[in-house]
Amino acid sequence: MAVDYDPALIGRVFEVTDPVNVSAEHIAKFCTAIGETNPLYTDEAAAKKGPYGTIVAPPSFAVTFRNGRHFFTHVPRFGSAGFDAGKDVEFVAPIRPGDKITLSSHVKEIYEKTGRSGSMVFVVVRSTVKNQNSEVVAHIDHRFMNRP
Amino acid sequence: MPITQFDAVKIGDTLGPQEIYLSKDQVRTYARTCGMDVPRFTDDEGARKEGLPGMIAPGNLSLAMLSRLVTDWIGQSGARLARLGTTYRQPVQPDHMITLSGFVTHTEPAEKRVEIDVWIENEDAERLVIGTASIEFP
Repeated sequence: MAVDYDPALIGRVFEVTDPVNVSAEHIAKFCTAIGETNPLYTDEAAAKKGPYGTIVAPPSFAVTFRNGRHFFTHVPRFGSAGFDAGKDVEFVAPIRPGDKITLSSHVKEIYEKTGRSGSMVFVVVRSTVKNQNSEVVAHIDHRFMNRP
Repeated sequence: MPITQFDAVKIGDTLGPQEIYLSKDQVRTYARTCGMDVPRFTDDEGARKEGLPGMIAPGNLSLAMLSRLVTDWIGQSGARLARLGTTYRQPVQPDHMITLSGFVTHTEPAEKRVEIDVWIENEDAERLVIGTASIEFP
């Protein structure tokens, strides 16, 4: 089966999300959720002596920002079941308390693969995560797997 | 053992293993904290309706645990996690022991960069999540 989609979709940014305010409390809750106890992420005094001079978020915090509600209405699904197949994350700069984070995303690539369990279509969504100074903090390539 | 400096890192050095009992409460806490409060991540019955064997952990939680494996190993050396790629091969099911491991596959002295393979195994030594990470020294 050939994958059928509008090539104009590739690379088009549909929306930039509203800024999400990051607080130290927000980061602390995330640390609890992942079982993180490193004082660089949780303790103001210890973080002051660390490489960044303030509390920063653990790197994986960068993947927790969501696309806009409407993003996925633009993304072809090629079937009913959509699964998170994996992520490739480039961590560019730390996220700190006080940051206002936005996400802009586009479809980077669509391809088909045949495995033991049959045909799968992968949609790769690339998100650029920025702070309030328009500095990139992370690039995320997110692979969604669908069965046509 | 956490690393101290680039020159001390050798190909084949290991990260972990960290054995973790991943509870359903931990998965629910993650899902709720990160706005992923949907049945497949919070309740067995709802997950089964989606054709899953029961509640599963979000891919982002696996990514976070592997990220932590690497940052624990980096310790106070001053290195930073520059890249992490993950592939979710099979669902990670809570209420089981999982093991996080890694080893150094490559070192790049010119850029003071270290490449690492990382993975999450279940009790049957099946690799549920595999990934690669790059760390960089200043």
